[in-house]
Amino acid sequence: MSLPVETTGWSCAACGGELEIVKVGFTYMKGNFEVDLPACQECGQVLVSEELATGKMADAERILEDK
Amino acid sequence: MLPESNYTTESLCPECLERIPAERRTEGDVAYLVKSCPKHGDFTAPVWRGKPSLSGWARSKKPLRVGTHLTDSPRGCPFDCGICPSHRQQSCTVLIEVTSCCNLSCPYCFAAAGTEMMADPALETIQGWYRTALAKSGPRNIIQLSGGEATTRDDLPAIIAMGRGMGFPFIQLNSNGLRLASDPGYAVTLKQAGLFSVFLQFDGTEDSIYQSIRGRSLLAEKLKAIENSATAGLGVVLVPTLVPGVNMENVGAILTLALELAPAVRGVHFQPASYFGRHPGPPEDADRITLPDLMRAIEVQTGGLMKTEHFSPPGCEHPLCSFHGNFLRLPDGGLRSLSVHGKNCCAPESAGTGRAVTYVAQQWSAPAAVSGCCDTNSLDAFLENHRTNTFAVSAMAFQDVWNIDLDRVQECCIHVVAPDQRMIPFCLYNLTSAEGKPLYRKASC
Repeated sequence: MSLPVETTGWSCAACGGELEIVKVGFTYMKGNFEVDLPACQECGQVLVSEELATGKMADAERILEDK
Repeated sequence: MLPESNYTTESLCPECLERIPAERRTEGDVAYLVKSCPKHGDFTAPVWRGKPSLSGWARSKKPLRVGTHLTDSPRGCPFDCGICPSHRQQSCTVLIEVTSCCNLSCPYCFAAAGTEMMADPALETIQGWYRTALAKSGPRNIIQLSGGEATTRDDLPAIIAMGRGMGFPFIQLNSNGLRLASDPGYAVTLKQAGLFSVFLQFDGTEDSIYQSIRGRSLLAEKLKAIENSATAGLGVVLVPTLVPGVNMENVGAILTLALELAPAVRGVHFQPASYFGRHPGPPEDADRITLPDLMRAIEVQTGGLMKTEHFSPPGCEHPLCSFHGNFLRLPDGGLRSLSVHGKNCCAPESAGTGRAVTYVAQQWSAPAAVSGCCDTNSLDAFLENHRTNTFAVSAMAFQDVWNIDLDRVQECCIHVVAPDQRMIPFCLYNLTSAEGKPLYRKASC
């Protein structure tokens, strides 16, 4: 799977490894979902783009969070 | 955290409406509001009965001092409402009463609304009320159009459109549903005007309940109103007024039916009867349904599908004024609680009006269309599932002249725009003395 445009050009800050798309599981307040995200091939560190963090992931947070 | 016993506050005398000292006093597992008027004697009303205990029921919350006030406070709370400098919360819901007339004549009515013809406020007047709400609290409120019965006005779509045009994104209709039921095109018209949600008076699943509380059978019309609203793309919240001896044993059946009607029905908002406006007479202790009474009844009558522990105190209004729980409907007919009470126990939250508005706007609007687009574990599927299948259960304990606690009032975030453009906490606006004399509301038609 190719990297999304907004995540190309990145390498791992921790170890300098190349990124590849992997399925990442998220758990937040009893809610679980999976997202295909770029992660370091060497150490597994995951890149969450700003668009995802402030978009759909923030939507999920709002849905789960209390009044 | 709330003090468990002997908390000093202020209240009003039910007879003369003078402000008097009061105490929240706990005896066993019951908390009472106890007060004494030098002229009219002692008064006691239960405000919290049983589990969950009062001592564990609160969220740490920073008081929010509203920066601008519409009124000064020379006489002190609750006589200078508007909002005055004593108030500790801003609005999350603003009620605008577009008419004082109604097409029912219920034995219980907080507004004591009538059935005779009387001139409704002009559109220009309502525009002024919108302006007041906008100036005081900004556009990000829930505007609830109320009455009387708001749908008795033929120009209600214009009122909704005017509010949307002035920048209010969330306009909700508080209605008995009669017109929504009789005219399928009406809900569509309201939706096209910009309405997002219907707060539907829905007291039970049996006609005997409506005969007792509303004066006639109404169940078929309620169900039709839900159907027509859902078809039009309006979110529907069922709002039962709970009266001891009438429909308190129907709580589980209401929730069961509401879940069957979900996702069109987005949730149920219970309102234990308060004794202001029009009601049968002064309440005895047995006429009171406290919030823990209701939480336990929900647990028993749903067979444990919803449990007391699934409900949380509010982040917006005073902890004694409401509870809420959010659930996810599961494909097997079960429910999963999404509430996590106490997660913020160690750090005070900022007063939660903005969060409450976001929550309500999201939960009470029409459900998302299901596309079945994606991998069931994906974020897209997660969002679609939760937007469609979340179900909210909440309750609000309004205060009347017997149990009014000015400490609670000062944290109220549900305000009515009065005809003179002051913004007044809902309970104070509707409060009447034992003899029926209003503190603020002018007599209706």
